[in-house]
Amino acid sequence: MNYNLNNQPAGERKSSTWTGLKSLLKLVEQERKKLILALAAILLNSSLNLLGPFLIGHTIDKYIQTKQYHGVLVFSGILLTMYLVAFITSYFQTSLMGGIGQRIIFELRNAIFNKIQQLPVAFFNENKAGDLISRVNNDTDKLNQFFSQALMQFISSIMMMIGAGIFLLIINVKLGLATLVPGLFILIFTRAISPWVKHKNALNLKSTGGMSAEIQESLNNFKVIIAFNRRDYFRKRFDTVNQENYRTAIGSGLANSVFLPVFGLFSSIAQLTVLSFGIYLITQGNFSVGLLVSYLSYATNFYNPLRQLASLWTSFQVALAGWDRISQILSLSSNLVTLSAETGQEQTDAVLEFRNVHFGYTGGYEILHNISFTMKPGKTYALVGPTGGGKTTTASIMARLYDPQQGTVLLKGRDIRSYTPEERAEKIGFILQEPFLFTGTVKENILYSNERFHKYSSEEFIGVLKAARLEGLLTTFDKGLDTDILSGGDSLSIGQKQLIAFMRAVLRQPELLILDEATANIDTITEQLLGQILDNLPKETTLVIIAHRLNTIENADEIFFINSGEVSPAGSFKEAVDKLMSGKRTS
Amino acid sequence: MKEQINSDKKRSPGLFSLLRPYAGMVTLLILFALFSNGLNLWLPRLIGHGIDAYNSGNFSYQIMIKEFLGVAVIIFIFSYLQGIVQTFASERVARDLRMRIAVKISGQSFAFIEKANPSKLLTNLTSDVDSIKLFVSQAIVSIVSSLFIIIGASVLLLTINWKLGLTTIAIIPIIGGAFYTVLKKVKVLFKKSREVIDWLNKVINESILGSALIRVINSQQLEYDKFFAASNQAKDIGVSILRLFAWLIPIIVFTANMAGLTILALGGHYVINGSMTIGDFAAFNSYLALLIFPILVIGFMSNVIAQATASFARISQVLDTEDQPETGKLDTAVSGEIEIKNIQISYGQKAILKDISFKVEPGEKIAVIGPTAAGKTQLLYLLTGLIPATSGSVLYDGKPIDAYDAEAFHSQVGFVFQDSIMFNMSIRENIAFSDTVTDESLGKAIATAELKDFVDALPAGLDTQVSERGLSLSGGQKQRIMLARALAVNPKVLLLDDFTARVDNQTEQKILENIGLNYPGLTLISVTQKIASVENYAKIILLMQGEMLAAGTHEELMGSCPEYVQIFNSQQSTSQYEL
Repeated sequence: MNYNLNNQPAGERKSSTWTGLKSLLKLVEQERKKLILALAAILLNSSLNLLGPFLIGHTIDKYIQTKQYHGVLVFSGILLTMYLVAFITSYFQTSLMGGIGQRIIFELRNAIFNKIQQLPVAFFNENKAGDLISRVNNDTDKLNQFFSQALMQFISSIMMMIGAGIFLLIINVKLGLATLVPGLFILIFTRAISPWVKHKNALNLKSTGGMSAEIQESLNNFKVIIAFNRRDYFRKRFDTVNQENYRTAIGSGLANSVFLPVFGLFSSIAQLTVLSFGIYLITQGNFSVGLLVSYLSYATNFYNPLRQLASLWTSFQVALAGWDRISQILSLSSNLVTLSAETGQEQTDAVLEFRNVHFGYTGGYEILHNISFTMKPGKTYALVGPTGGGKTTTASIMARLYDPQQGTVLLKGRDIRSYTPEERAEKIGFILQEPFLFTGTVKENILYSNERFHKYSSEEFIGVLKAARLEGLLTTFDKGLDTDILSGGDSLSIGQKQLIAFMRAVLRQPELLILDEATANIDTITEQLLGQILDNLPKETTLVIIAHRLNTIENADEIFFINSGEVSPAGSFKEAVDKLMSGKRTS
Repeated sequence: MKEQINSDKKRSPGLFSLLRPYAGMVTLLILFALFSNGLNLWLPRLIGHGIDAYNSGNFSYQIMIKEFLGVAVIIFIFSYLQGIVQTFASERVARDLRMRIAVKISGQSFAFIEKANPSKLLTNLTSDVDSIKLFVSQAIVSIVSSLFIIIGASVLLLTINWKLGLTTIAIIPIIGGAFYTVLKKVKVLFKKSREVIDWLNKVINESILGSALIRVINSQQLEYDKFFAASNQAKDIGVSILRLFAWLIPIIVFTANMAGLTILALGGHYVINGSMTIGDFAAFNSYLALLIFPILVIGFMSNVIAQATASFARISQVLDTEDQPETGKLDTAVSGEIEIKNIQISYGQKAILKDISFKVEPGEKIAVIGPTAAGKTQLLYLLTGLIPATSGSVLYDGKPIDAYDAEAFHSQVGFVFQDSIMFNMSIRENIAFSDTVTDESLGKAIATAELKDFVDALPAGLDTQVSERGLSLSGGQKQRIMLARALAVNPKVLLLDDFTARVDNQTEQKILENIGLNYPGLTLISVTQKIASVENYAKIILLMQGEMLAAGTHEELMGSCPEYVQIFNSQQSTSQYEL
């Protein structure tokens, strides 16, 4: 599956305003009841607002023109009652509709996050972190702005327009039609230029994502920039993306500002039409001055919301562009499907077996060629070989971060693909080459997602650490378990991060534990301690160790030599060393 | 108008001063807005005139259509021009502000970036700038033209009929009061919602950066729960804000309706007793409709201004940081002689390095060993000037490190970081990262780092793009590219931070040989875990918890330092293979 979001096939990417809207509306389904209530409130509110000018017009014609002040007062009383009702409906229209908007955006945000959680590691490797973050934060925010602010106005504006339009036609069909003609022009105009406007906004969102990715990279790599005195590099790179963002922002800004003047012009023309055609009708005796005054109000009531729609339409186009980028993520699915558990259980004493495995990363060359090996319970295996030979890739396939293109991986005699993620995570532990820490404390990081010890008090937990002989590793943290970890663990050394990752994995007590250069930056004395901790693990625990340091692997029961995508058993430690020192290497 | 700016200036110095370089554009913007809005006010008047003219019998279609159309077209032109200027002005302010922040950041020290926190700086550069952009594109014009319409409409109302006018204008303070009360409450919620959004972003960021770990231990549900908690709170705050606004809008509409009712009852009275024409009465209704919208706009825009002010305060924190002191002017070649005298580095209460002193002769090879968190990396950071010493001095050729010109200094000192830092550009650009690198020194660096075979095997060779965070390369390949990057500047001093950790022994040996051959006379300071590869170094420094426990040759330390012997023994069993 192609996970590169900026390089998706163009075929299905073409989506009109309408299809975008339809898929957005699917989000509203469970809100149907509330939505009906809200629409009722909007309908009532709009009718009351529309009835106002009609009654005023009626009062002018019937009572003011005929100088009957009593009637004026009676109708003022009626209007007052109406306005009071409108006060209440207006409150409900906003709170109901806004509530729906908030819940939709809530559901949407959760859906995206949930989707991202389901996607495999390949997805994250093929997209820049900054771009993904921008999609989840920035693009949902654009939708948020639309839902929380614009949606209500959008619907009530349309209601007002429809209502006003109906009134215009009821009072006088001919005049009504004449008033609505400019509206038709607006409709055609909007339809014609909306795709262009949306496209411009999409370009802008894309360059915003690119800018955010660039900033993310430069700031996180700042020490290299300083150490190589390339402060100008940061400025230059930033200048490029900043200019690009400026260019696309101008493009979308100019596109967005087209609507308002055009809408304004047509609504002025509509007013003029009412006035001149209305006066003409009065001279013909088919109309009255009072009606003309309220007619002008209706025309305003029709065109004012339309003018408002102009600015709303813009935010709608921005939201749709954001929605497109989000739905790109939502349309992806994991390529790591769980097969049914019935898929053949073989009788074997092996914990893990690779059978004719071929693998290459998306868009790259084959990295592993036809690899087969077995690993037995309770043994320690070492994977050695030159850098770039495929050790980390092999380990990643063992933990099913990727599926091989060909061949199978068997975990305890069953296809690894038939285990649920829970079962797999329980059986396989994998200490990654780059340790990752979450903001929090050392304790929270060690116990991350550890259900067994999660509810333990600090004393109980220290007992657990003692039993696992892990307690001694805490001395390098100045406040022990309660040492704070700031974002990304910047306050800690790599060695310290590796210690936490080590403790985290060991406490989960997996049956198969993979260490990918997990102790590379830890001093040799502490490493000996780690060796004792590993020895202390239950007898049947299988260890897979990737390391360059030879004393890390000297106690291995079996050594595999991995080079140029091929795995060969290296025999004894000494043979492996000889192979390493003198063997032909390609990397 | 000028007064308004001045009074705002006292409250929030800076936000308006930001506009000074764009004064021409902003003035143009305001002029266009005033023109189109002023003419908009004229339209109801033309309608009123039309009706009155008809009533008094001297109505002419031609004149009315001409006048009306003329005004409408001019409004169209001006509002379109306003849109264009608005886009350019706001985007320019945003672009220039972003660049100013970036330039400021680029001149700062490493410590500043760490302290300011990259993700906060990212927010400064993106969403904070966006809220200022919104201020420029919407608030300025909206407030100026709203004030203009309110004042203009009020004056016109008063001239038509001052009694009725006054009753109508009375809605302004009522609506203003309602806004003030609601916004005061909303402000607190906005602040809270900003915090929740920061929290949300943190969870999102960590779930993306830690994606591999999360998949290995299948903790997606845990991450989702974390996210859900933040997301749920964001929703709750959103709903609370909405409730407040849900009251605001009905109050405003109701007040406006009351004004309309007053016009009907009172105005009706005036028309009946003949003190007002029916055309004026109609115009009054139109002006009322005109009056309400700008009041609303000012209310909402005061919120935009408040947010922009807060954003600008955050940005100002960055912009107002002191520039780094000018680096020295010294651009002489360094010989490689380094001396460290009584160095102390503390972060707050915690001492990272305690009273460290040693000297390195030109061309000497020095190793620094010690357990995790001993302060080894900090020592190297100090030697490259990434972090300053709390006390003590770092001397190159007897002169303090900050006496050197930064460019001259960094082009003579190469640093290989412990963590792999790759840029999303070609391998060539990653290695020739400094712009002083020639093709020749690039080739030499690649050959020395044993990268030639690897690069040659790539179909695009040196032009192969490295993906973000170097995910397409193996750990050892990244490490070697970083070494080549440091060597490509042809340094006199090379600092290696645990370089051997991710490179296999055979390659490591070859690389060290290559360095000796291709870069003779290079001063080398190597932080390492492996004693075997540094046994013949001129000096080995043993660091433990920030203290220099011992220093000397391998033999000396073996004889005098039990801790060193312990480390040596921990590596003994296999050292025979490592040589």
